[in-house]
Amino acid sequence: MKSATSSSLRRLLSLNRPHAKKIALAAFFVLLVNGALLLQPYILKVVIDDFLTQHVAQQGLYSLPAMGILYFAVVVAAGFFSVAQVNLVNQIGQKIMRGLRTRVFRTIQLLPLKYLDRTSTGSLITRATNDVEALSDLYTDVLMSLFADAFLILGIIGAMLLIDVRLALVSLCVTPGMFAVIFLLRTKIKKNFQRVKRLIGRINGFLAENLSGMKLVQSFCAEKEKKAGFTGLNGEYFKSTLFQVRMNSVLRPLSDVFQNLTVALLLWYGMGRIGASTLEIGVLYAFTTYVKQFFSPVSDIADNYTTIQSAFVSADRIFELLDQAPTLEDLDAGLPLDRLRGDIEFRHVWFAYNDEDWVLKHVSFHVLPGETVAFVGETGAGKTTIISLVSAFYAAQKGEILVDGIPIGDIRKRDLRRNISVVLQDVFLFSETIGRNVSLNDEIDSEEIEDALKTSYAKVFVDFLPGGIDEPVMERGSTLSAGQRQLLSFARAIAHDPAVIVLDEATANIDTSTEGLIQKAIENVARDRTTLVIAHRLSTIRKADRIVVMRDGEVVETGDHESLMDRNGYYAEMVQGGESVGENPDDSPESSSGTRGAAAL
Amino acid sequence: MGRRFLLRFLKLHWFGYAVGVAFMFLASWIQTLFPRILGDTVDILKTAGFAPAGVYTQIGYLLGVAAATFGTTYVWRNLVIGGARRLECDLREALFDHFQVLSPSFYSRRKTGDLIAYAINDINAVRMMLGPATSQAINGVAVILFTVVAMARASDWRLTLLALLPLPFIVAFMLVVGRVVKKRFKRVQKTFATISDRVNENISGIRVIKAYAQEDEEVRRFERLNDRMVEANLAMVRVSSLLSPVIEACFTVSFVLNLILGGGRVLAGQITLGDFVAFNGYLVLLLKPVISIGQVINVVQRGMASLSRLDEILDVAPDVVDGGPVAAFPAHAGIAVRDLSFAYPGADREALSGIDLTIPAGRTLGIVGRTGSGKSTLVQLLMKMYNVEDGRILFGGTDLNDFRLDALRRGFGLVPQDNFLFSATVEENIRCFQGGYTPEQVAQAARDACIYDSLMALPDGLGTMLGERGVNLSGGQKQRISIARALIRDPEVLVLDDALSAVDTVTEGEILANLRRVRAGRTTLIIAHRISAVQEADEIVVLDAGRIVERGTHAELLAKGGPYREICDLQ
Ligand SMILES: Nc1ncnc2c1ncn2[C@@H]1O[C@H](COP(=O)(O)OP(=O)(O)OP(=O)(O)O)[C@@H](O)[C@H]1O
Ligand SMILES: Nc1ncnc2c1ncn2[C@@H]1O[C@H](COP(=O)(O)OP(=O)(O)OP(=O)(O)O)[C@@H](O)[C@H]1O
Ligand SMILES: [Mg+2]
Repeated sequence: MKSATSSSLRRLLSLNRPHAKKIALAAFFVLLVNGALLLQPYILKVVIDDFLTQHVAQQGLYSLPAMGILYFAVVVAAGFFSVAQVNLVNQIGQKIMRGLRTRVFRTIQLLPLKYLDRTSTGSLITRATNDVEALSDLYTDVLMSLFADAFLILGIIGAMLLIDVRLALVSLCVTPGMFAVIFLLRTKIKKNFQRVKRLIGRINGFLAENLSGMKLVQSFCAEKEKKAGFTGLNGEYFKSTLFQVRMNSVLRPLSDVFQNLTVALLLWYGMGRIGASTLEIGVLYAFTTYVKQFFSPVSDIADNYTTIQSAFVSADRIFELLDQAPTLEDLDAGLPLDRLRGDIEFRHVWFAYNDEDWVLKHVSFHVLPGETVAFVGETGAGKTTIISLVSAFYAAQKGEILVDGIPIGDIRKRDLRRNISVVLQDVFLFSETIGRNVSLNDEIDSEEIEDALKTSYAKVFVDFLPGGIDEPVMERGSTLSAGQRQLLSFARAIAHDPAVIVLDEATANIDTSTEGLIQKAIENVARDRTTLVIAHRLSTIRKADRIVVMRDGEVVETGDHESLMDRNGYYAEMVQGGESVGENPDDSPESSSGTRGAAAL
Repeated sequence: MGRRFLLRFLKLHWFGYAVGVAFMFLASWIQTLFPRILGDTVDILKTAGFAPAGVYTQIGYLLGVAAATFGTTYVWRNLVIGGARRLECDLREALFDHFQVLSPSFYSRRKTGDLIAYAINDINAVRMMLGPATSQAINGVAVILFTVVAMARASDWRLTLLALLPLPFIVAFMLVVGRVVKKRFKRVQKTFATISDRVNENISGIRVIKAYAQEDEEVRRFERLNDRMVEANLAMVRVSSLLSPVIEACFTVSFVLNLILGGGRVLAGQITLGDFVAFNGYLVLLLKPVISIGQVINVVQRGMASLSRLDEILDVAPDVVDGGPVAAFPAHAGIAVRDLSFAYPGADREALSGIDLTIPAGRTLGIVGRTGSGKSTLVQLLMKMYNVEDGRILFGGTDLNDFRLDALRRGFGLVPQDNFLFSATVEENIRCFQGGYTPEQVAQAARDACIYDSLMALPDGLGTMLGERGVNLSGGQKQRISIARALIRDPEVLVLDDALSAVDTVTEGEILANLRRVRAGRTTLIIAHRISAVQEADEIVVLDAGRIVERGTHAELLAKGGPYREICDLQ
């Protein structure tokens, strides 16, 4: 743990390096402000000693009013420098925060799905938000005051040593005790901060999940149970923060306590020397004042201690995420390919999401350019997994996947994915306009967007929206019907003009007649593209060039519809399973509701 | 609303706060003992041949002050600052309560990540206002009052007035700057919420971003947002950094006036040098708390900004509320829908128009129709996710609006079109966190949904933790867990909204057969695109553009040769 913090510290400091000059300037301002602070009592002293006590004649600038104005000028100048300093440091701090935030965001974007699947959204969000913010507190509140404090402490120690070395040593000998207490509490405080931040992440995640699933919670009247979950989490957080308050309540009065202890010690030690006449009372008294001055910055540092700890724990959390760098996806590594031909081959591919729970077992097939290949099979057979592998979202453990004859791992991921448009089973829409949801960030002009919308028959409903393609889509498309969302996601795939189109249950929520229309349109679009289709409504895939039938992670049959039907194997069974009821509508007429309850209406 | 919450909280916890503030004063008072003890000690030491015992007593006092300072500070900090922590958590829970009663129409306007920021960041700013800032303010005000009184007593009232001369200016300045700080802090918080939201959305949509290789552009877009955040922060600090120095400068005016005028009066012999020095000392004493109040204003304005942001949410009244007192869903009741029309809030097109339906108790209704024809909308209205006029929907003769919301919704078991699963165990998801189900019931529900075997094949069986939204499951597995979740409630009305879209035909057949068995004699609504799912229903309605265009049994509709027939022919 300790090494984590010290390396975090080092890395935090290294972030400052590009701003060294500005930081030096800010530090210089701090010195100026401190200098002004010293000048003020001196002006007062001149007024009291020279004018009011010794009645020196006043003339020109050496006069009471001039001193007053000088005093004012000094305060204004100090104020000016302190404003400049605060803004300067804030600028540096914000720049560093911006850099960190972007790096965190970039890391999150490039983390492999394998990692993201297992990580809670909340813990990732808090790293980009609250943790970065905790560091920002370090800059705005602590950094420069720490510098000023250190400067003051050194000055006072110097002054004390100059006057009387032994008294100075006596005055300083208790202070280590204070730092010892802080040091002893350090681990506890730090552990607690780690807990607090973990909990904030979990609260964040809990909210993220429950706010997006609120409709479900409400339909199932699970509010009470969810509230209990939230209260539990929030209560745990409360307990941890109370512990932090308790620790702070110990730390904050510590400097007052030690100040008193130091003075008591001074008096006790001084008493002997005064008795032996080796010390003047005046010196002893002066020392008590120094002790007071000494403890003012010390208490500042102690007060800031928890802010610093909190920032370090946040820094650890941020760097822990940034340390994922080696596992991040490198979109640009590998062989550049402009346009895929669309030749996809699986050779004895084995794949498991975890360890050895094989989801795909020696899967082999070969899709030729321009072919339409359908994957069918019972749910959980591994169809979606296959297309995830084609997009290189995951890497197969055994066997080979070749795209255009090249091992998939050797192809530049960016080119590969740009060439493959996937309509995912779980549609995701962004809170952007309809148009941008189709084009994403790519340069696709509105005509092409309109064309894509037309092809996918999304235009039918988009035209009814008041804003047309500029109509904003609400979060996850919550104001659209499920089928409409799917049509948009379809349009997105078409608009990107891919070499390979992958449709994973792309029409599952779409009515049959619209689906039929889309299919015709797709046939035109897909004429010279490789198309991979997954569908449970087998009517959709009858026309595929080839059908790969999957069961339990294995390919059990391949062939076109006719040949598979002739085989009378698993596929035929599935087709009949779907149609048996369809072909005999009177099979079990109304038997389902045999007990016809008395109509209560 | 936020303010009302604060008042209620203070009323509830006033005693702790009062004790805390008392200890705060006690701590300040104890600290003022220190100079006196020191002075006494010096006096003792001054006398030649002093007795050490006297000094020891004084040292003892000093140690006593140390202990008392520690004790009192420890107590007030725990009470006051700890109290603010309690407030933070209570407020968050109140907000969560509020979130839970807000209706879907609210959630389709607001964004998740944004709302999270309210619950964490804004509440935090409110806490800062009520904890550290309040105690600093109380301390500061106490010191100022104490000093001013002492000052007026010890010196000329004219000088005292002089010292207070800049105060009105300082107050005016604080008010003006405070308002600007508030406005700018609001912008900071808003930008922060946008960032939180963007991160949230980009994590949820990561599969699309990766599939279309949009990472670089997304990072670039994020950077623009980030720039806004930096800009907002800098703009705020530009103003807030002025507070303390300007206050100090204003205050220096009294200082300088005292220096010149007071000095003049010393020279003229009107006051003694001692008076002058003492007065100066008081001014120095005043300076620190006045400046600290500048910092307090800063924090308070931020807190107020966040409080008013929180009010934007807390003041939203839920659209849909308990309609009446009926607390139980009628057993074995039929459903009647009478001339129901509905448009979503803000939409100019009706999603449903003139729907008339009668579902006798225990029957099965099938609903088919084009995408966007209003099928899901109908279900949402039956469950009163949106408001429905009186007399439009009746359950067993009781109007929908006469039910308590929970009673109404407990009557339903819904399999929604998008299968939302929580990142909890499979078993918790099936129970939907409700108690009172035996493990056998959970297993049976899973069996009825034809998912039991797949679930048992998972590493920890029913105890397997799911990823967020169930990422580690296949689409069909998610959908069937969602079916099991509805079945286990054994609801009066079961609603399957396109709930078999992601399962294969064989499994679909099995699930339908199970449904016929367990739902025998119970009301069931099945929305589907595949005819196979609805053909056995007692009645099938075909929706188009929000209207019922056809109704009848499968056989009747086939014979009719209308839109239903068309759909069948396509499959
Ligand atoms: N991200 C993941 N982590 C771990 N296991 C996973 C993950 N995604 C899927 N699985 C598991 O892998 C198996 C195959 O899932 P896959 O999504 O490929 O099925 P599918 O054939 O597409 O099914 P469906 O027709 O239901 O969509 C399932 O048992 C599922 O539980
Ligand atoms: N929250 C909402 N706010 C505004 N409009 C909405 C909202 N939800 C749905 N709509 C609109 O109402 C219409 C009916 O939607 P609904 O979800 O009921 O369709 P559906 O018949 O279930 O379609 P699908 O078969 O695609 O699920 C659609 O045009 C849709 O865009
Ligand atoms: Mg729907």
